[in-house]
Amino acid sequence: MSEYRLGIDVGGTNTDAVIMRGREVITATKRATAKNVGDGVVDVVTATLAQSGLKPSAINAVMIGTTQFVNAFLQRKNLSEVAVIRIGLPRGDGVPPMVSWPNDLRKILGSNIFMIEGGSYFTGKDYIPLNETAIADAAKEIKARGINAIAITAVFAPIRPDLEQRTKEIVRGYLPDADITLSSEVGGIGLIDRENAAIINTSLMAFSREVVRSLIAGVKSLNITAPLFISQNDGTLLTTGAAEAFPILTCSAGPTNSIRGAAFLTGIEDAVVVDIGGTTTDIGFLVKGFPRETTGVNYIGGVRTNFRMPDVLSIALGGGSIIRTEGDRLEIGPESVGYRIREEGILFGGNTLTTTDVAVRAKGLSDIGDASRVASLDDVFVSRVMKDIERRVEDAVDQMKTSSKAVPVILVGGGSILMSNTLAGASEVLIPENAGVANAVGAAIAQVSGRIDKLYDFGREGGRLAVLEDAKQEAIDAAVAAGADRETVEILDIVELPMMHMKTNAVQIKIRAVGNLVDVKSAALQ
Amino acid sequence: MTLIKTTDDIKDMARGAVFLGTGGGGDPYVGELFLLQQLDDGRVPQIVQPDDVADDAFVVSIAGVGAPTVLVEQLVSERALLYLLERAQDFYGRKIDALISAEIGGANSMFPLALGARANLPVIDGDGMGRAFPHLEMTTFSIDGIPCTPSVMIDDLGNEVTVNVPNDRLAEDVVRGICNSLGAMTIGSFYAMTGAQMKQSTVRHTITETLEIGRCIRESRETLEDPFEGLMAYLNDPNRGRYAKIIFDGKITDVNHETRDGWHFGAVHIQSLTDPNDTMIVDIQNEYLAARRNGKTVTIVPDLISILDRETAEPLTAEMLHYGLRVKVIGYSAVPQLRTPKALTVCSPRQFGIEEDFVPVEKIA
Repeated sequence: MSEYRLGIDVGGTNTDAVIMRGREVITATKRATAKNVGDGVVDVVTATLAQSGLKPSAINAVMIGTTQFVNAFLQRKNLSEVAVIRIGLPRGDGVPPMVSWPNDLRKILGSNIFMIEGGSYFTGKDYIPLNETAIADAAKEIKARGINAIAITAVFAPIRPDLEQRTKEIVRGYLPDADITLSSEVGGIGLIDRENAAIINTSLMAFSREVVRSLIAGVKSLNITAPLFISQNDGTLLTTGAAEAFPILTCSAGPTNSIRGAAFLTGIEDAVVVDIGGTTTDIGFLVKGFPRETTGVNYIGGVRTNFRMPDVLSIALGGGSIIRTEGDRLEIGPESVGYRIREEGILFGGNTLTTTDVAVRAKGLSDIGDASRVASLDDVFVSRVMKDIERRVEDAVDQMKTSSKAVPVILVGGGSILMSNTLAGASEVLIPENAGVANAVGAAIAQVSGRIDKLYDFGREGGRLAVLEDAKQEAIDAAVAAGADRETVEILDIVELPMMHMKTNAVQIKIRAVGNLVDVKSAALQ
Repeated sequence: MTLIKTTDDIKDMARGAVFLGTGGGGDPYVGELFLLQQLDDGRVPQIVQPDDVADDAFVVSIAGVGAPTVLVEQLVSERALLYLLERAQDFYGRKIDALISAEIGGANSMFPLALGARANLPVIDGDGMGRAFPHLEMTTFSIDGIPCTPSVMIDDLGNEVTVNVPNDRLAEDVVRGICNSLGAMTIGSFYAMTGAQMKQSTVRHTITETLEIGRCIRESRETLEDPFEGLMAYLNDPNRGRYAKIIFDGKITDVNHETRDGWHFGAVHIQSLTDPNDTMIVDIQNEYLAARRNGKTVTIVPDLISILDRETAEPLTAEMLHYGLRVKVIGYSAVPQLRTPKALTVCSPRQFGIEEDFVPVEKIA
């Protein structure tokens, strides 16, 4: 695969872009995130292209990481009303959909719940016929309510996705343009968590379509003809079509990209990564080049899902954090000027004292804003602020470590200038070149993955080994279908969970396969 | 008494149930949601003390039997549980006056509470173990001669089976067999008893204990630097007459899981954060059964072993353990009813194939 990859990270504060060739970062650019995401991308890409001297046609692939979708869900903005169809009756009526959801979300997404007969035993056999009449009735009712976004979940759908597919077909007959998510496409065993993921995803589909199309239009307006990919949670790539349909798969791409980018920029595979942004600092753990993932369940905006996500600790401290003093008390954050730092920060002619102002003064930097504007800050005050910042980061790093042993710490993100190069508990502190755009680098180096999470029968011919071979093949095929070069696909991890408390041969298997992006221009045509 | 009125109460109850589940017992999550739905509908469980129930009252245990993996897909049917109550009353020929949990550790702590709220039946503040165990004969009810059967079992689809066998060891096998034939998840009524029998045999106050353990962990997190401080103070409160100790503090270096005949076998290896030669191995058979520090047993079944996240004191089930997790291990004395010579004939280490005698945690930890 050739040459130039454009990696873009759209954060809450900044939009960063890098152009990479092989392992080399050619240019790196940072701009404030615009209200219209596409405009911000056009701005940063125009600048980075100009800086590199490359023609737009030289770019072979564009990779964008964005926290837009998850932020929309966290802030309850741009969400669609959703109808929820669950295929499961007579089972499950004691736990209807959305039971444990926060009330504000229930209000926004509405109370449009349809529980219908159908579903499968763990063996894959139907326990009751799918009630197609009831599905048609539900579709008519959903249409009458003016809802055009539907989440469909069936009991044991990971083993019998056809139950959800048939339901979708019937619904489509009444609502041909509806946004529909099938739970089997976004989650594994565990109905409630999978159903929750499907509902979250459905509520975001209209917004994701808008954002993705604005990104496509932005890139196209610059005469870049290369295909566009969106980063997903595990640091691998989605096609734009998949990102429109599955915005939930991008919800933790931000921290993942910065951790992967930090690994790439330093060549270190095991370390703590501290990503200091404008408003928050995320601390993650790098294990063999990938982020350490959380073990149990995860909550997105107060809703439980079974997504595996990078284990990240966030603290309210960043380059734009506002510093206040009241008598002897010093308060740093949690409020931040965010992207307005270039207007409100003292260095830039504003009146709000931020951590960046103090760091520039403390370190005697001259390349950020107008250093003379912070020259008069009191020495004792400056060192107190810097110590406080350092202590908070040290505490957070300590919480994330798995032992008291000193480990390498990699500092990345636009706010990495806040830190010095010593930190308690660190064997060394690295601030790699291009640390400010590690996110965008993480996006640009991304691979493609395939995952499976299903129950298999070890009792069949060939037993466990034959089953594992088949399951691995399914994961590899999924990676290839997502755009991976088959030659490069490797199995990243295998988890086997036998069914407990029962004498059966059913075993839940989760496999992840990862490979390099195949020649990207042809992949995009598929 | 209405001990459980809010979402926080339910979460505390679930957290405490995982602690007393000692690694097994099934994740209480589905039961938690079922109970939450009852609260949403304006129904609260009425929890009563054993002595508040008349001697001639009729009490049964309602419990789910099956595979946790199936439970998280098929969830729970309120309609089926109400039908079970109806069928059980027909079968026993008596009106049910109160419900009791057979096993307070894990998933079966929740179902009686939710069903009690739904059917407006009081739920006894107690259970038959004060922890989790894998078999039906391992309850104080069985030990005191209150048999598990006759029993009615149903599934969500309307299938119904009655079981009446002479001993609870056999009941265990028969019930599992039925459950297998019905898609690996069933619910049933077990240990039908009078109020007088219940008072004699129940492990008392275990709903209160479960709730308080969960609440204590949550509140200690908010108010103390080390949440274990609060938890240990609660467990060792002299008024409770129990003994608890943090028997290890370290990082998980290995977890082996293996399933034989539907039971989970395995071992967790934990290494001290300060001395790599100081290690603990915890044996798992569904539950955590024995904890050995550098080869020496420091807590063994029926005493409780609980493994908790080192920072948050969140109790962890065996499925949640993995390499790298930093944990503390607590040894906790079992309720006195499980330590009698008679009780030890069904729940001593040897009953689990461990060739060791039971020694109380307070003597070896």
